[in-house]
Amino acid sequence: MKIEKYKIVNRIVCTALIAFSVQANAQNPAPALPQTRPIVLTGATIHTGSGQVIENGVLSFDKGIITQVGPAGSGNTSGAEVIDVKGKHIFPGIISLNTTVGIQEIASVRATLDFDEIGQVNPHVRALVAYNTDSEVIPTLRGNGILLSQAVPQGGIVSGSSSVFYTDGWNWEDAVLKKDDGIWINWPAFLARSFNFEDFSVTMKRNDKRQEVLDQFVSLFADAKAYAAIANPSPVNLRLAAMKPLFDGSANLYIRADYAKDIIEAIKFAKEVGVKKVVIVGGDESYKVASYLKENQVPVVLNPTHRLPGRVDENVYLPYELPGLLHKAGVKVAVTYADEWWRTRNLAFLAGTSSGFGNVTADEALQFITRNAAEIVGIDKMVGTLEKGKQASFLVSAGDILDMRGNEVEMVFIKGGKVNLDDKQKRLYEKYKVKYGKK
Amino acid sequence: MLKRLSTLVAVLTVSVLCKAQETFPKNGAYDERTGRYAFTNANIVVDPKTTIQNGTLLIENGMIREVGKQVKIPAGTVVMDLKGKYIYPSLIDLDSDYGMPEVKTERRGGGRQAPQLESNKKGAFGWNQAIQPETEAGQLFAPNTKQAEDLRKIGFGTVLSHSHDGIVRGSGALLTLTDESPNKAMLNGKASSHFSFSKGTSGQTYPSSVMGVVALLRQNYYDAEWYGKSGKSEEKNLSLDAFNQLKGLPSFFETGDKYSLLRADKIGDEFGVQYIIRGGGDEYQRLDEIKATKATLILPLQFPEAYDVADPWDADLISMTQLKHWELAPKNTSEVAKAAIPFALTTAGLKTKNDFWKNIRTAIDYGLSKEKALEALTTLPASLIKAEGQVGSLKAGLLANFLITSTDLFSKDNIIYENWIQGKKFVLAPLNTADLRGTYSLSINNQSTGKLQITGSAEKPEYKVVLQDTLKITPKAVLTNELLTITYQPDKKRQENIRLTGWKSGTGFTGEGVMPNGTVVPWTATLSEPFKAVASKDTAAKKPVETGSIVYPFVGFGNETLPKAETVLIKNATVWTNEKEGILQNTDVLIQNGKIAKIGKSLSAPSGVKTVDGTGKHLTNGIIDEHSHIALFTINEGGQTSSAEVRMSDVINPDDINIYRQLAGGVTTSHLLHGSANSIGGQSALIKLKWGANQSEMLVPQVKTIKFALGENVKQSNWGDITRVRFPQTRMGVEQVFYDHFIRAKEYAQSWKTYNAKKTGAAPRRDLELDALAEILASERFITCHSYVQSEINMLMSVADSLKFNINTFTHILEGYKLADKMSKRKIGGSTFADWWAYKMEVKEAIPYNAALMYHEGVTVAINSDDAEMARRLNQEAAKTVTYGGVPEEEAWKMVTLNPAKLLHVDDKLGSVKTGKDADLVLWNANPLSVYARPEFTMIEGTVYFDRKKDEEKQKTMAVERERLIQKMLSDKAEGRPTQRAQGTQPRMWHCEDIVGVHAEHAEGK
Repeated sequence: MKIEKYKIVNRIVCTALIAFSVQANAQNPAPALPQTRPIVLTGATIHTGSGQVIENGVLSFDKGIITQVGPAGSGNTSGAEVIDVKGKHIFPGIISLNTTVGIQEIASVRATLDFDEIGQVNPHVRALVAYNTDSEVIPTLRGNGILLSQAVPQGGIVSGSSSVFYTDGWNWEDAVLKKDDGIWINWPAFLARSFNFEDFSVTMKRNDKRQEVLDQFVSLFADAKAYAAIANPSPVNLRLAAMKPLFDGSANLYIRADYAKDIIEAIKFAKEVGVKKVVIVGGDESYKVASYLKENQVPVVLNPTHRLPGRVDENVYLPYELPGLLHKAGVKVAVTYADEWWRTRNLAFLAGTSSGFGNVTADEALQFITRNAAEIVGIDKMVGTLEKGKQASFLVSAGDILDMRGNEVEMVFIKGGKVNLDDKQKRLYEKYKVKYGKK
Repeated sequence: MLKRLSTLVAVLTVSVLCKAQETFPKNGAYDERTGRYAFTNANIVVDPKTTIQNGTLLIENGMIREVGKQVKIPAGTVVMDLKGKYIYPSLIDLDSDYGMPEVKTERRGGGRQAPQLESNKKGAFGWNQAIQPETEAGQLFAPNTKQAEDLRKIGFGTVLSHSHDGIVRGSGALLTLTDESPNKAMLNGKASSHFSFSKGTSGQTYPSSVMGVVALLRQNYYDAEWYGKSGKSEEKNLSLDAFNQLKGLPSFFETGDKYSLLRADKIGDEFGVQYIIRGGGDEYQRLDEIKATKATLILPLQFPEAYDVADPWDADLISMTQLKHWELAPKNTSEVAKAAIPFALTTAGLKTKNDFWKNIRTAIDYGLSKEKALEALTTLPASLIKAEGQVGSLKAGLLANFLITSTDLFSKDNIIYENWIQGKKFVLAPLNTADLRGTYSLSINNQSTGKLQITGSAEKPEYKVVLQDTLKITPKAVLTNELLTITYQPDKKRQENIRLTGWKSGTGFTGEGVMPNGTVVPWTATLSEPFKAVASKDTAAKKPVETGSIVYPFVGFGNETLPKAETVLIKNATVWTNEKEGILQNTDVLIQNGKIAKIGKSLSAPSGVKTVDGTGKHLTNGIIDEHSHIALFTINEGGQTSSAEVRMSDVINPDDINIYRQLAGGVTTSHLLHGSANSIGGQSALIKLKWGANQSEMLVPQVKTIKFALGENVKQSNWGDITRVRFPQTRMGVEQVFYDHFIRAKEYAQSWKTYNAKKTGAAPRRDLELDALAEILASERFITCHSYVQSEINMLMSVADSLKFNINTFTHILEGYKLADKMSKRKIGGSTFADWWAYKMEVKEAIPYNAALMYHEGVTVAINSDDAEMARRLNQEAAKTVTYGGVPEEEAWKMVTLNPAKLLHVDDKLGSVKTGKDADLVLWNANPLSVYARPEFTMIEGTVYFDRKKDEEKQKTMAVERERLIQKMLSDKAEGRPTQRAQGTQPRMWHCEDIVGVHAEHAEGK
């Protein structure tokens, strides 16, 4: 329906070969080293990510795992490094789904774009292996509290397979938390847009060409399911093999669909072809079909809600209210910045806005970028909330992470290791403070 | 005898006048006839105000000789008795392409083709291919049988035809629709001049936008004036020659909608030309403004078909604007008439010419008077084209162009029998058709078989064969000149046909038939019961069709009546003054006459004044967005490397929903900038977001600014290899563009100064582009320059230094932090994004600490949007400067209010809460820098344009109105009227770089 500016820029075919060389003064800082001794943080307001808030709480972790979360005085501090974070706020690491972080660097430089393979049916291409831990964008996300990021292939009708990474690590093998968590498909939109060069307006009308794509999906998924039943297939088909996990529930099928009819049709389709776990992505009109989504227990990963209403006559604030509407209707919802890679550092503010303009509290909104996201991807046993036994991946902020006025990340721990929060932008800041004689 | 002689003289004169083929040799014997006809006993509608009952029209040799009650019919006249019939002047259409060559617009590649910088028309013509004053419809005209017939069929006799191609389209020709020689048809080969905003078949890059069209047209007027005075001696320019020759002719401007109509008139005002403007049919949406133009309009009768809204989800695609326009479009002409705006009607824009009568009758059902309708099709167009001495009414000496009709021209069952053009008859329906309606007893082979019923109208009878009293069969029947053929199947199952042929005989028919078995039999039909007309039910004047209300602007969220300025006392709020008083707690603010009247503690409310409890709330100035592209029809004139001559004020769109959305985010003022497609962009416009107001009410005219741009966009780095034509392609070239243009502007300003001092010799040629640049040099116009990297910023500062002009603001300025000291020294402001980066090479070193670093170096910093979405939460963006770099909250807030006001030189009126300043205020439910803050209301000059509670109510009333319209559409569908598929149009959201967007959209092939 809408094409964001960045996406547009992405698609520009620059035949000019613009050599891209990293000219930064320094590389990204070294990733965190493994935790060597128990650490206890005291005095903070702990937002657990499951709606609970512990004032003046204690958070203990060892060997990368949370050992205890509780009120002041609880937990064992013997032999531990105790850090007083009085007055600060602790939040679970923010999880940013549905992004091109790590597989896209500079939109206008084709050589830095690794998210859109040619061809229409690419279930076998994997974001996993293209993920660049040395991207200069990644450290800037950490600085705003994003500790996990899902890299997602784009384009075609079957875009490829996504993986979830920590925003810290030496290489993709080191950074990945969940490999190949799902296959992404683009549901052919019920409404097609056509662009008018005379007045640069966009016309929306029924898409007459969609049946072709639907037929393709039907045969592709039928073939894939049949293929999955063969023990030792020969000849091997990489495409069909990649889809096997969809039928045993070990991977999600992420379906990009925005219109109410598309959403319903897509879910019905997925169930009929035997896909176990379905996630709707985009979901502009998901509020219209909230009861259907709830009934079928299909979660929604929303595209950026810092967007304009889809229609001229739509409630001005509908995009802001959307996550809350779904949440209140009993639908599991995560908010994202989609493929706007560098902007994802504002993810917390999407959640904040959904609370400011919607009918949900800040701690409910926090779940849209922590617990819900973890559950959707299937990493909730490890991350998403601050609970004993989960990975010690969290942040300490001067204030409310969802508000620009409080989002000042002072410490980040990933699997218990303390992360260096330096990034290229901070280095430039420091450099020019020197120029102007500031401290 | 004497009288006869004078008549003879008159006739001779007339015949000389109309014998257009005098010079042509004749193949065969001459066949000259007098063409003298008298039409008697007719109701003659001489003109919309005069009808002669029972009168006579006498024509001779193609001209009207006499009209009246008592007309003496000379011997040798063909007399036609038109008892009970009507005669009307035949109709005139002033927006026609009759007889013109087809205009083939090649679909341009949308940027895929190499840019065409020069005109493809070779010869001593003007520089721009879309300016074609040398085109002459008179020269191009070649009769087109099909077109002429289609127009004659619906009653037209005369058209003003022109070539619908280009911005200046040359002259039009006044033509009749006769099928005789073109020499006769052409009444005036050079009757008018024609203009439009569309560049038509021109593939030249300039102009690429409507504001470029305005500039080009204005420049053309100035050039023509200069050429007429002194330019002739410098160059021969056939286009300017031709343009000057068009002067004095009635000038027609084709536009497509209400705002382009207003735009066209504004151009005319500058040059003392009152255009006759062809509108788009939505004039009712801005009647006051259109009336003020004093233009006569040409209106189409184009009404949208109902949408198919059966499916509620699909129906969501249709906007209230579309729904309401569907309902109100048929009312347009009557609304225009009610406003006493003169107009003519045209068939242009109709899907098929056959829709003409249906649509004009619809317009009459919606309140257009028949007299007005007739005037708009006859006398008014005739006088507009200065041909009232030839066509448009039925007076002696005019062309014999008239219609013979069965009844009142506009009544539903009227039949146009004949359309006479220049004395030649064109039959559309047989006159004096015998009325054969009635019930006949049918006898075949002398046996009574049943009945034959003839009903319907005399001209279009309907037939039924009734067998055995109950079995009704619709036969196939053809009646020509009282000869009748009937075929029918008495038993459908057997598929056997009885075929009858016969003729009128007495009060019945008689003839011969063939039975299915081949037997030939006689048959008769004897009139048993004459036809009884059912009296029409509603002879009384019908009430016009009821419709919903018109809203301003014409959008779902528009208002029936515009909100007014109020006197309001806001009590006990936290007031962010932006003055040395800082943030005041528990403070009252009184708003009166659109201004901030008082600020203090415990102010008492004057009697009858509305009080608002501000307890726990924050009162601030409205947000001023220093870099916006909302409310514009177009943003880039990228056809040339400098477009200093274009004005954003020419393309303001008051109907843009983003105005309302931004009010809902606390924005009150937007600086509308040209895009960044070229080094020297266009003149910006500052508007206040007065939702529902017109363009001039929104515009703050004293602000004179201009957009410049540097970097990747102006050197077209990201537009593909095809765009490697336009200079400059490097940052080196960009510098030279500025030197070149400003040095020329200096010389230009000097030449005017010299001329104005002495006033001797020839005046210099006025150049709109150099005018704007000269204003910059004279510090009368301020530059906002799109910029990213430090090298180019440094470059422009040094160019400005050496040529002694100032740069007011660098916008984007993502590397401003690297040069903040240099900017500060020159008092150049920085209007930047809070945290954008990484989308292209030149933003690689952008940092979110930019605003803070510039601020600490003393630069006046603004945070802007360049984005319709982000603009509605600029408060959140401003807050980021606190997070990144520790700007104090009060200072951060100024970055979206007072600082942009300073950069725009309006801080004497806007930007702080201070007594005497404009009451452009927002009441927030929380600290405005918080992510949780939202406006309770937004006011401009004391008028509340957005109110949270009213917004919620509005959504409910919109839902009701929407459903009413949908129900109405559904009944239209149920009645079998045509519907179109639901489809919605969304205006494009603009960014500075949207020329890039266009390329990409195209590349995607969507």
